[in-house]
Amino acid sequence: MNSVWRIPVILGALSLVGLSAAILGDGFWHWICWITLSIPLAVCAVKLWRQWPSSSPATPPA
Amino acid sequence: MTPASLRGWRLVHRWTSLICTVNLLILCVTGLILVFHHEIQHIMGEELDTSYTEGQARLPLQTLVDIAQKADPTLAPKLVSFDPEDAGANYIYIGPPGARDFEDGRWVVLNSFTGNNQVLKKPEETLTGFLLKLHVDLFAGFAGQMFVGVMGILFVVSTVSGLVVYGPFMKKLAFGLLRFGRGPRIANIDLHNLFGVATLVWAFVVGLTGAILSFSPLIIGYWQQTELVAMAARHTEPMTGTAISIDQAAQAGLAAFPGKDLAFIAYPGNNYSSDRHFSVMVRGHTELTKKILSVALVDAESGTVVETADTPWYITALLLSGPFHFGDYGGLPLQIIWALFTIVTTAVTVTGFVVWLKRPRTRTAVLERSPHGASEGKA
Repeated sequence: MNSVWRIPVILGALSLVGLSAAILGDGFWHWICWITLSIPLAVCAVKLWRQWPSSSPATPPA
Repeated sequence: MTPASLRGWRLVHRWTSLICTVNLLILCVTGLILVFHHEIQHIMGEELDTSYTEGQARLPLQTLVDIAQKADPTLAPKLVSFDPEDAGANYIYIGPPGARDFEDGRWVVLNSFTGNNQVLKKPEETLTGFLLKLHVDLFAGFAGQMFVGVMGILFVVSTVSGLVVYGPFMKKLAFGLLRFGRGPRIANIDLHNLFGVATLVWAFVVGLTGAILSFSPLIIGYWQQTELVAMAARHTEPMTGTAISIDQAAQAGLAAFPGKDLAFIAYPGNNYSSDRHFSVMVRGHTELTKKILSVALVDAESGTVVETADTPWYITALLLSGPFHFGDYGGLPLQIIWALFTIVTTAVTVTGFVVWLKRPRTRTAVLERSPHGASEGKA
């Protein structure tokens, strides 16, 4: 799979696992849900934080 | 993909998104708050009193129905509904005697252990009720609900078309690259692409389930007019004796489905039953099977179950759409995750709109229309 789709497909798959997990059961399944669904959100936050103009102007673009 | 089909997909993405933008923002803001509706109701003191002491016995259903009828003695009981999350809550619908539909009656909410009648405020009078109405039908009733459903379908098409145009656009760009130093249009394009693609599956699922829920009156109406009517039509013997009590009907229905819980009981003579039979609907216990109903037709004269059936796939799909839209199936952490996804989706909506506002109009517009237009960002 080419590089354009690699990360989006991973994030999409994690989302699907997360959305399905909590309906299947409690406890362990809830943790799977919370962790996998947090990853796409964390990716957004990290990308934004790392490249925010005022935070570290010396950092080259990712 | 040919340049022509890419142009087509870009047009689809642009216009489906633009048409639903305003409604989508309303849905995001109200939805963001509604994710925590239980918590808000608790703080506002709008919760129902469904408390009971450990080991206390439930009141017989007949007693609850009698209490409900006192709220308006001219009305007759039509439907008794059981809250899957709260054993202490019973919702009883009373309506004009002889009416088959659910137009001119009202709901009475009772504590199923104490029989305490809970006054249900008009939706407009509570914060969550107001937001829910704005979210579901924009205060425009059935027509408003259908409108929101169509907006939901446009949103789903917008997510799919967004995914299609993402690939060609990102061909020469690294995932998650945010070019803040290149002017507002480029910065908004990059934010829109990152946030949009990272949350796409969630947005697709919540949008699709929301659209399905919007069309629930049509889906339930179809089921009622096909399967339920056909089921009732197979048992048309006239009623001669006296009817059994609702408690006997419930017992008979539960006996037909060992291990299941009551979901609804429809009295004979309305849209969900036949003239001579109660419809007793039951559900399972787990998060998943709680959303899957089965129905038993109980003869109101003999008290026997004459027919049982599972709900068709489209009713199951409708019932399963609930949790995947509300995000209420994984505790408070999932509610917080749901709220964060809603915020990101709002950002995708706003940045997408800004990209359109700042679209090139003159010289670059020609460039955009050229076969290489898809990757204009790198120019």
